[in-house]
Amino acid sequence: MYAVAQIDVDICSATSCRLCTQFCPESNTINYDIKRNTAYVAVDRCKGCEICVGICDNLAKHHAIKMVPITEIVEGYEMSKLGFHKF
Amino acid sequence: MSLDTLKISPGFESYMPKEYVDLVERGPYGRDVKVSEMGTFKEIIEEHPMCAGCAMTLFIRTALIGLPAPEHTVILGTAGCGRLVLSQASIPFIYGNYGDTNGVASGLKRGLEIRFPNQTKDVVVMAGDGGLADIGFSCVMHSWFRKEKFTTVMLDNEVYGNTGGQESGMTNKGMVLKMAPFGKKFEKMDMIGLAKTAGVAYIARLAPTNPTRIANVIRKAVLIAREVGPTYVQAYTSCNIEYAIPTPKVMDDAREVEKDRYGFMEIISDEAKAYLERIEQEKKAKAKAVAASKAGA
Ligand SMILES: Cc1ncc(C[n+]2csc(CCOP(=O)(O)OP(=O)(O)O)c2C)c(N)n1
Ligand code: SF4
Repeated sequence: MYAVAQIDVDICSATSCRLCTQFCPESNTINYDIKRNTAYVAVDRCKGCEICVGICDNLAKHHAIKMVPITEIVEGYEMSKLGFHKF
Repeated sequence: MSLDTLKISPGFESYMPKEYVDLVERGPYGRDVKVSEMGTFKEIIEEHPMCAGCAMTLFIRTALIGLPAPEHTVILGTAGCGRLVLSQASIPFIYGNYGDTNGVASGLKRGLEIRFPNQTKDVVVMAGDGGLADIGFSCVMHSWFRKEKFTTVMLDNEVYGNTGGQESGMTNKGMVLKMAPFGKKFEKMDMIGLAKTAGVAYIARLAPTNPTRIANVIRKAVLIAREVGPTYVQAYTSCNIEYAIPTPKVMDDAREVEKDRYGFMEIISDEAKAYLERIEQEKKAKAKAVAASKAGA
């Protein structure tokens, strides 16, 4: 069992920060939904490194990202099932 | 490659993997994508087996966004960690023998110029510190002395990461590693100084703390290599495994090392500077002309 990043949409959408999308080492893992104005994680691509948590907490100071056990993720976005940006 | 070869032949759309269709429809091709747009377009890197939280992965991800024309670029690498992700990108990747990357790149660049006289093809070598400063050292230096027109990017994790922690020429003096148990006895090699001596047209050193800077540096290096001469980018890309950096601390480490000894620096020849200014002016003039024709229409 491992933990993946989860972004609080309410906190994130109140900003227009996007920093986490630039610092996640993995490509297209934190994507950005322009309509909802929020970043979101493709849970099947997240490797659980927590870099995004440090960026959001310490650089952006928004505290919008938490690590959550994969088994507790409800309706996580899965890139392998849905493809890129398809809701 | 070119954009035409990337497109899906009519009738095949439903047989292609989702990731491929996304790339064709939402990829970064034919336009300048910005770092601030990351997460809104499909990147050319697919899933890959690099370690979690790897700074090298982060650097390569952003570097590929800086490529001015990914559809007309060929990347050369060799044994070492970087190839694990480079080989999963939608860019032709040549897995050179350990040691000969810059020799192969020299021949390739010259060959591409003959084969495609009307289309610029960019050649970029991206390999580790062991690959470029140790085993590939001779080919790197000679490609610089011969003024070969391609970019060399060193992914400097200051260790042989892929083979379990041997010291490289780029490891710092005194560093104790799994396979250097008594500490390295010699100083870190001054590859920047050697590049200067060899007359490399653009030299940059950076740590992966500023994504926009990474993309800009790579863009400049590739553009200058098209017209002026060899370019060299040396990037600190820590190995969190061999240096035992917990992944949540990888960016703290990058910032500390940057502050201590890996600060951003650029050395650019007068000719290269003039060339960059020229293309900037041409771009502005073109944008002005487009705006004027739109206003007139
Ligand atoms: C001629 C040759 N010698 C040795 C090797 C074994 N080898 C594979 S990867 C590697 C180390 C790579 O170190 P570096 O270039 O610094 O890249 P890193 O893995 O640290 O990213 C070595 C020695 C090889 N593949 N070919
Ligand atoms: S935990 Fe790491 S891999 Fe997962 S989304 Fe955050 S930065 Fe990306």
